Amino acid sequence: MNNIYMPHLAEIKEIIDESPDTRTFRLKFKDGDTADRFEFKAGQFAEYSAFGDGESTFCIASSPTRKEFIECSFKVFGKVTQALHRLNRGDTIGIRGPYGNWFPLDELKGKNLLFIAGGIGIAPVRCVIDNVLDLRNDFKDLTIISGARSVSDIIYKQEINVWKDRTDIKTIITVDPGGETPSWDGEVGFVPAILEKTAPSPENTAVILCGPPVMIKLTIPILTNLGFKDEEIFTTLENRMKCGLGKCGRCNIGNVYVCKDGPVFTYAQIKRMPQEF
Amino acid sequence: MDEKIILKDDLLRICGDVIDKGHILLCPVMNEYSIVKDFSRIKLDASALPAGTSFKCYVFPKTEPVLYYKRSKSDVQLIDVNIDRKNIVILGAKPCDANSLNIMKHLFNWDYSDEFFNLREKNFIIIGLMCSHYDEYCFCTSVDSSPVSEKGSDIFLIPVDENKFAMRIITEKGSEFISPYAEYLKTGDENISKQITENVKLPKVAFDSNEVYEWLGENFESPKWEGIGNLCLSCAKCAFVCPVCHCFDIVDEDYSYTEGRRMKNWDGCQFGNFTMHASGHNPRDIQSKRYRQRVNHKFRYYVDKFGEILCTGCGRCSRGCPVSIDIKEIVSNCKD
Repeated sequence: MNNIYMPHLAEIKEIIDESPDTRTFRLKFKDGDTADRFEFKAGQFAEYSAFGDGESTFCIASSPTRKEFIECSFKVFGKVTQALHRLNRGDTIGIRGPYGNWFPLDELKGKNLLFIAGGIGIAPVRCVIDNVLDLRNDFKDLTIISGARSVSDIIYKQEINVWKDRTDIKTIITVDPGGETPSWDGEVGFVPAILEKTAPSPENTAVILCGPPVMIKLTIPILTNLGFKDEEIFTTLENRMKCGLGKCGRCNIGNVYVCKDGPVFTYAQIKRMPQEF
Repeated sequence: MDEKIILKDDLLRICGDVIDKGHILLCPVMNEYSIVKDFSRIKLDASALPAGTSFKCYVFPKTEPVLYYKRSKSDVQLIDVNIDRKNIVILGAKPCDANSLNIMKHLFNWDYSDEFFNLREKNFIIIGLMCSHYDEYCFCTSVDSSPVSEKGSDIFLIPVDENKFAMRIITEKGSEFISPYAEYLKTGDENISKQITENVKLPKVAFDSNEVYEWLGENFESPKWEGIGNLCLSCAKCAFVCPVCHCFDIVDEDYSYTEGRRMKNWDGCQFGNFTMHASGHNPRDIQSKRYRQRVNHKFRYYVDKFGEILCTGCGRCSRGCPVSIDIKEIVSNCKD
C-alpha cells in the first residue's frame, strides 16, 4: 500500500544551536535511494517527526542546490519541537515531503531581489538566498534586510557572515531597540523602520518577505509607499497543519489550502483571500 | 437500467450468504449502522429516520493507526499498516448516506491518494433503500439529492409492498455482486417502481444552494456569524455525526518506552485549538469564525475545489445539536 503518511527516516548529522531557543538540524536520509530521489524547490516544506511526540511542519531551510544535507530550523515552542530539541547527533527523525509550492525563481531571473526577514522567518528566506547565490549570475542586485529581537536571537550567524563577506550582496542585519549589545555593529530598529531608511528602489525588483504576522503587516505599507507592486511581493503563510497533503482540513484560508496552494503567495493573492489569518 | 423484483425473504437469504462468505454486513439497526450477524434483525424500513450516525466510520475510522514505530537507542524502525480488506455490504443505506463516499472521494484523492480510505471504499457494496420519511431537519432536496436518489448506490431498492422490493442495479460493482443470486431475481416493471418513487413525499426545498454559495462569497463578514457563534458550544458533535465531515488529527501514541503508533483521529473544525499555532496565535480564535468556516466549507469552499456540496442534507447535525442550531435554517435565512 502506498502510505502517504509514512515518513522517510533521516539521521541527525549535525546540530547547530542558532540561538537559545532555535536549533538547526543537518539531516541525511538513511536510505540512499531516498537521498537521491528527494528533490525540492526553495520555499517547500516538510513534516518532521519526533517519534513518540508527533509531527511538526517547517520549511526546508537548506538550498536545493546543496544536496549534501537537508536542513531544518525550529524554535522550541510546543510538544514536538521540545521533543526534537531533546534529540542528539546520530538520532533518527522522520521526514515527509517535500510539500507545497515554491518561490518562482525561474520567473525572477534577471531581476533584483530584496530579501526581508524577521525572526525565524529567515529560514525560508535563507533557502532562497543560498539558492540564488548558487545561481548568482542569473540575478541582478541582491539586498538582505533581516531582523531579530536581540543580538543573541540572531539565527544563521554562520551564513550571515558568509553573506557579509561577499561584495555582491548588500546585507543589513538589525535588532529590535533594546536588543543590542555594546559591541553590536549592525542596525538597531524594527525591520519596517530599517526598510524605510534603506529605501531600496522598486525598479525591476521582487521582494521575498517572511516573518511574524505583525512584521509583515507593518512592512507591506512601506513597500507599497516605496513603489513595490503587490504582484512582486512574495511571502509565505504559516498555518497550522497536520497532514501537509490537503486533507486534514485546518490550514485553509477560504478555499485556499496553504499546504497545497501555498505556502508561497504574492501579496496580490493574499489580498484577494478572506481576511482570516 | 436493469430493474428486477426480489422478495424480502430472498434478499435476507442473500444477506445470509454474504455473512457466510465472511463479508461484513452493515445495516441500520437500532439507531446506527451495525455489523449484523443475525439477519433476522434486519428491518429494511424505508420509513425510518436516518440512523444516528452514518457508516462513515467504516471507511474513515474514528481512530486508526497509520504506522507503527519501534525506537532503540538512536534508531527507529517503521512498520506499515495492513488494512483489513474484507468486503463490506451495506444494506438499506439511506440515499443521504449512500452518496457520502462519492463526495468524500474527491478530498481523499486530490493529488495525494489516501489509500486508507480508497482500499476500504473499493470494497464497499452499497445497497441503497428509498426513503419515505422525513422530519423537520431533513433537507436532501436542497443539496442536489432526494429520498429516491440512486446517487452513490450500487444497487437501489424500492419497496413495492411489505414482502417485495424493486431492485435497480446501478453500477458494474452492483451487477457483479448480484449476479450469483440471479435465481432470486424476477423481471421487474420500471413503471411500477417509478410510480412509487414519484409518489414519495419530498421534504420541501429549503434553500437554493447556488444562492447560498453567492451569499457566502459576499458575506464573509456578517453579524449573522456572531449570533451563531454566541450560541454554539463548540462541541463538534455536528462534525462527528456528519456523513461527509472528514477533518482529522495525526498524533503519536506510545504504548511502551520503545514502541508506539501514529494515529489518525477524527477532529472537528469547531474545536478552539483546531487551528491554533504553536505561538498561541489562532486564525479562527472565536466561535463565530469557526462556525463560519463550517458553513463556508460545506457550501462554498468544497464547491470551489471539487464542484460538490459537502453536505448530504441528512440533518443529523441539527437533529443532534445540544443547543438546537439548525444549519438548514441558517442557510435558508441567510439573506434575512
